Amino acid sequence: MQRDTLVSFEGVIKRFGGFTAVQKMDFEIKKGEFLAIMGSSGCGKTTTLRMLAGLEAPSEGTIRLSGKPINHLPTWQRDTPMVWQSLALFPFLNVRENVEFALKMRGMAKAERRQRAEQWLDRMQILEFADRNVAQLSGGQRQRVALARSLVVEPEILLLDEPLSALDAALKVRMQSVLKNLQRETGITFVYVTHSQSEAFSMADRVVIMSRGVIEQIGTPQEIYGAPRTRFVADFLGSSNIFTGKVLAASQSMVEVETPDGRLALGGGNLPIPPRQGDTATLTVLDTKTHLSVSRPTGAANIVPVRVIGEEFVGATATVYLETAKGHEIRVQKSHDELAGLPLDIGQELFVHWAPTDSHLVAEA
Amino acid sequence: MRRAISLYGLTFSLPLLVWQLLFFVFPLAFLVALSFWTVKNFTMRPDFDPVNWVTMFGKPVFWQAYGTTVALAASASALASVLAFPCSYAITFKLSDSARRWAIFLMVIPFFTSYLVRVYSWQIFLSDAGIVNVILGWFGLGPYSMLNTPGATMVGYMTLSLPLVILLQLFSLVFIDRTLIEAAHNMRCGRLRTVFEVVIPSARVGLVIAALFCFILTFGDFVSPVYLGGGDPTTLSILITDTTKSGQQWPRAAVIALTMIGTLLAVAFLAVRFAYAGQAKGARK
Repeated sequence: MQRDTLVSFEGVIKRFGGFTAVQKMDFEIKKGEFLAIMGSSGCGKTTTLRMLAGLEAPSEGTIRLSGKPINHLPTWQRDTPMVWQSLALFPFLNVRENVEFALKMRGMAKAERRQRAEQWLDRMQILEFADRNVAQLSGGQRQRVALARSLVVEPEILLLDEPLSALDAALKVRMQSVLKNLQRETGITFVYVTHSQSEAFSMADRVVIMSRGVIEQIGTPQEIYGAPRTRFVADFLGSSNIFTGKVLAASQSMVEVETPDGRLALGGGNLPIPPRQGDTATLTVLDTKTHLSVSRPTGAANIVPVRVIGEEFVGATATVYLETAKGHEIRVQKSHDELAGLPLDIGQELFVHWAPTDSHLVAEA
Repeated sequence: MRRAISLYGLTFSLPLLVWQLLFFVFPLAFLVALSFWTVKNFTMRPDFDPVNWVTMFGKPVFWQAYGTTVALAASASALASVLAFPCSYAITFKLSDSARRWAIFLMVIPFFTSYLVRVYSWQIFLSDAGIVNVILGWFGLGPYSMLNTPGATMVGYMTLSLPLVILLQLFSLVFIDRTLIEAAHNMRCGRLRTVFEVVIPSARVGLVIAALFCFILTFGDFVSPVYLGGGDPTTLSILITDTTKSGQQWPRAAVIALTMIGTLLAVAFLAVRFAYAGQAKGARK
C-alpha cells in the first residue's frame, strides 16, 4: 500500500441474497483526491459507496481506512460523512440545527458548535437562512445545507451519492464548480458517485467506471476518454467509433484488423500486449480524431467509404452521422470551420479516415 | 359568483346533511337546552335557568371526579404511548414485510370481541381468588387485591386503547424516510439516540394523535372504572349515571356531559397544535 493511500478495497465482494452487487473489487483512493465512481444504475456504484460509509457490510474482503480495517465498524463509529441523493436533511430541525447535528453527537459544547456551524453556513453562503425551515429553501440552498452539515466535522473523506441529480442543468453546473473548489480548498478526499459523465469528467481527478459490479477502468478523465480500455467503456462514453474484426497481422508496432467495413490498422504505443493473428479484436477511434474528405485520400491507412445520414449541432462543434456500406454507424465530430467546405447533404458519399496512432484496442469483456 | 344549489348536488349532499343534523347537531342542541331545564318533585320542566351549571360547578365532588378523570385519561395516554412505542417500533423496523402484515392483522384481532366481554374476563384474572392470585399462590405470594383498584381500571383502559395506539403509531413510523435514520447513524448518532433524535421527531404527529385517541377513548369510558375499578374513585362517566339515578337530575347530567365535550374539544385542539408545532418551526420568521 502506498503512503498516500487513504482507502483501499481489497477483494471486496457484496452479495444481496443470490445477487452479487459488487464482484471482487480491488482499488485504492488517494488522500486528497476527487474520485468519481461512474456507471449506469444497478452497476454497484452506490453499494460501493455505502460499504465505505458502513451502511452495508461487505460479504467478503477488507476495506481499509488509513490502513486500518473498518469492516466491523458500524457507520456511527466511522468518520465517513455522506451526502445523500435525497440530501436526507432533517425536516424537523432548522438549517442551523441540521448543521449542528453531527457536532452535537460528538458532544461539542453549545457555543462552540454554534460558532462552527455558522462558519460553514457562511462559507456555503447560506448564513442568512440559518433559522429557516429546510422546506423553505430552494434546491440549491438545500444542497449547500447538506454539504455544510457533512463538512462541519472537517472529515478526511466525504462521500457523495448523486447529490446533484435533483437540480436543473444551470444550477448543476454552478454546484459542480462549488464542489470542485471546495474540494481543492479543503483538501478533503471526495468520493462522488454519479451516472453522469459530464459531472464525473468535469470534477474528478480520477474516474472509476463500473458495470455489473465490476470495475471496467480506473484513470484520469483524459486517460479514459482518450483510450477506453474495454468495449463497455467505449460504448458508455459514447464518443468512440467501434470496429470489430479478425487480426490479419500483428507485430510490436502495428496490428491489422479485417473488419466488415474494410482493413483497419492501428499502431504506435497503443499495444501493451499485441494480439495474435486470427484473434477477434475490437478497436476504437474517437469521433474527434476522425476526418472527412470528398475524394479518397492518398496515403492514409484507415479509409472507410460512407454516406451522410445526419448532422447535429453541439455548440461550437457539429457531429456528422455517417453509415458504411454494411450499415455500421460512424460519427465524426468537427468544428464548424473544418466542415465548412464539405457537402453534407443526406446521402452524400464521403470518406472517413484517421491515423493508425489514433486507434486503440479494447477488451471485449 | 356562487352557483345556485342544484337538485343534483342536493341529492348527494342531503343524506350527509340530514345525518349530521339528526345525530349530531340536534342531540347536542338538545343537551345544551336540557342543561337549563329544572327539576321539581322528580319531574323535569323546560326552563331557562342556569341553576344546574351553578350547582354542579359549585360541588367539590364534581371537581374531584373531573380531576380524577383527567388524571386517569392522561396517565392512560402516557402509559399506552410508552408501552406501545417499543412494539410499534419493532414491528416497523425489525420485521420483514410479510411479518409486519401479520403483526398488523394480530393488532386488529382484539376488536373482534366486545370490549365489555374483555373487561369481564379481566375480572376472572384479577379477582381475589382469580387466575393471577392462584398462580402467584404457587410461588407463595399474595393474594393481592387487584380488582376494584385504579390499577385495574388502568388494565381496562389498556385493553381498550393499546391495540389502537400501536396501530396509529405504526402507521406514522412506517412513513419515516429511512435515509434520515441512516443519515443520523452516519453522523455518529447511535441506535438508541437516533430513536429520540430522529424517529420520535419524525413521527411526532402520529404519536401525538395516537395518545390523543387514547385520551378520548378513556376519558369517557364507563366500563373499566365501574367493572374493574369498582366505581372508586368516581369518574365523570360514573357521576353522570349517579346523577341521573338520584332524583331524575338529567339536566345536571347534561352539564357534566357538556363539560366533558368541551374538555375533549380543548384537549384535541391543543394536542393537534402541539403535534404540528415542530413543523411550523422557522415558518413564522
